Amino acid sequence: MSNETVITPNEVDRLYERLKMESEAAGYNLNPDTDFTKELVKGLLTNEKRYGYQACPCRLSSGKKDEDLDIICPCDYRDSDLTDFDTCY
Amino acid sequence: MTEGMLDKSVISVIRIAELKGEKIMQLQHVSGRNAGHIILYALSTCPWCKKTKKLLADLGVDYYYVDVDLLDENEREEVVETIKQWNPARSYPTLVINSKIPIVGFKENEIRKAVQT
Repeated sequence: MSNETVITPNEVDRLYERLKMESEAAGYNLNPDTDFTKELVKGLLTNEKRYGYQACPCRLSSGKKDEDLDIICPCDYRDSDLTDFDTCY
Repeated sequence: MTEGMLDKSVISVIRIAELKGEKIMQLQHVSGRNAGHIILYALSTCPWCKKTKKLLADLGVDYYYVDVDLLDENEREEVVETIKQWNPARSYPTLVINSKIPIVGFKENEIRKAVQT
């Protein structure tokens, strides 16, 4: 996939702060490993630029929103992953 | 098709490409000590996959990886079919060593144990 748009650290920080606020308001915590979480946020932004929506960076997107509704972050598998692994995948 | 065949065919495709000096798909080769045939199916956007790549690099083993999200449509379909036989959930990272049981997810201890020589 060529012509990938560059994600700036500023964009990552902004989304990170928003997700932190939203997740905490909903009773969840972001992974305290900030570097790791920011990598994940970068993946979300990459997918948003690529596909138009924030598909989970750890799942393969089809590029068609209708088919990917289950993997748009926070995805349908978050809670079961948290139960099974204490983190989402 | 028996279990492992598709993965083995991926290995043979890699070998042929290596012999011909061609690059096949977007398979990346990381040189290191031989700990078996290691193929990592990854996504370029996935931090767990990055951790797995880093662990394999730190362990200094020879391995191949493919970032499935960067493949073109035809290649992607083919590779996803291969991944499906190892890991029906098609989650990432999926690491296959010597066409045996896959390690799904960043399972550091399992990976370390599997590549011990």
